Amino acid sequence: MTEHQNQRKTPVQKTFELISALLTDNPIYKSIFRTGYPSTLLKRMAVMRSSFYMHIFPTKVGEHGLRLRYSWCMGGITFFLFLLLTLTGILLMFYYVPEEHRAFNDMKDLRFMVPFGVILRNMHRWAAHGMVLAVMLHMMRVFYTGSYKAPRQFNWVVGVLLLLFTLLLSFTGYLLPWDQLGFWAVTVGTNMASATPLMGYEGPFHELLGVQVDNDIRFAIIGGTRIGPNALVRAYVWHCVGIPLVATLLMIFHFWRIRKDGFSGPL
Amino acid sequence: MVEQEFRSDKSGYMLMNKPGYPRVSSWPNLVWVIFLMMLFITILLWGVSFLAYAPLEEMAEWAKTPNPAKAPWYFIGLQELLVYFDPWIAGVMLPQQILIGLILIPYVDITPTEQGHYRWSQRRFAVAYFTFGIVFWATLIFVGQLLRGPSWEVYWPIIDYDLTGHGWTREGVALKQGGAKLGSLSTGTGLALLIGFFSIGMVLPFLVTKLFPKSRPVQGLDKYLKELGYIKYFVVQSHVLMMIATVVKIVLRLSFNIKYIIETPWFKI
Repeated sequence: MTEHQNQRKTPVQKTFELISALLTDNPIYKSIFRTGYPSTLLKRMAVMRSSFYMHIFPTKVGEHGLRLRYSWCMGGITFFLFLLLTLTGILLMFYYVPEEHRAFNDMKDLRFMVPFGVILRNMHRWAAHGMVLAVMLHMMRVFYTGSYKAPRQFNWVVGVLLLLFTLLLSFTGYLLPWDQLGFWAVTVGTNMASATPLMGYEGPFHELLGVQVDNDIRFAIIGGTRIGPNALVRAYVWHCVGIPLVATLLMIFHFWRIRKDGFSGPL
Repeated sequence: MVEQEFRSDKSGYMLMNKPGYPRVSSWPNLVWVIFLMMLFITILLWGVSFLAYAPLEEMAEWAKTPNPAKAPWYFIGLQELLVYFDPWIAGVMLPQQILIGLILIPYVDITPTEQGHYRWSQRRFAVAYFTFGIVFWATLIFVGQLLRGPSWEVYWPIIDYDLTGHGWTREGVALKQGGAKLGSLSTGTGLALLIGFFSIGMVLPFLVTKLFPKSRPVQGLDKYLKELGYIKYFVVQSHVLMMIATVVKIVLRLSFNIKYIIETPWFKI
């Protein structure tokens, strides 16, 4: 800062600087945020490297990939919605039991009894729809900018798998309220599996493998010949544990590759 | 050739390490964008959640089938395809082929340097094909979600039913009943049609390049086909033909009431 600017400082500015110095220029602050406020380029590099959370990002990024009209920020929005869904999902698990006679009543409790239960469930529901939409838009953006091309081919493949797992996450969650809407939507959806060639009891050539209604792929998915208590527990476990685990592993890979290859941009 | 140049680049595959590539520090440029995004999404989600309740209907009951029973919106495109195809195609083969096709995109692309911008001049076909797929998918969702009522008949929003209400018709108006008589093609005709469609479709681009070698767009096609090679061409064209066949089947069903192209005791297409 030049001397000329120094002279023009208002009392407010001086007070602000004093307070910020008191807050940041002490051993406790520096033990947590090692570099101090990142005011210089050197400190800006250091702050990204020394922080666990920031370290997921590179110290420098291509200027091109930062523009919103280029990236739409859709990948970031998808991941942030996933985090919000995890948070609200964990809170919802406190109040929900995946049992045929209880599940629907727990929904009513969330609506009328649990403090902030309404907002909790609403957030989870709308964020889920938002995530499906965001992940589709993200795929479109990546396609239209050609960002799936070398060296990012395999990351596109992982992205397609993540799209699939996002849909499955949303779909398994659909059954959990145990209301007519989810029950019949999941009935319609899982009935499609019974039409799988060879492996579904209504699919072509199922006789060849001796496949019937009680040993086909649909039976394996929903744990019965129709949606019932078994299907509810299966949907719950896949929704809360199985698919999030797989999706998280894929996300780690997805982000790692972006970190290695950098944001896409013109060659 | 382009591929080789690209690979021998000193920076390897890492664009961000390329000397002279315009870069800025992540703090505050990137961190700032991400922080604002998080703030914006949180506020938006809170706003929506305060204004709109998550849907909750009556308790699930096996004996009470709603009419229509709809899949969630992102799968309703497949449910809409059930009108035109048996479930093993609409619910299994087509989604499987969509996924495989999406996964294969980077491996059949022959313009590796066309990236990082929205210019489409060098990849018109890829963009047109992908866009058609997206629009097709969105149309199926739109029709399935908003235009399908009881017995999966067409119901017009606002004209037939209130967007805010629960009924599908006005008072005193009966539910719709489709009266179309559906027929199928004879096995011979159907088989000939299907095999003819796919084999002609496979050779048509090559035929065009032989028949009109002087025309400008055809010369471009010729160059594209040569660069693509036979294997990639087969992968791309089979997916293109499958998408066209899906649309053709929909048109046949809607205009000529044809239910099946091929009918066998084991499967029907």
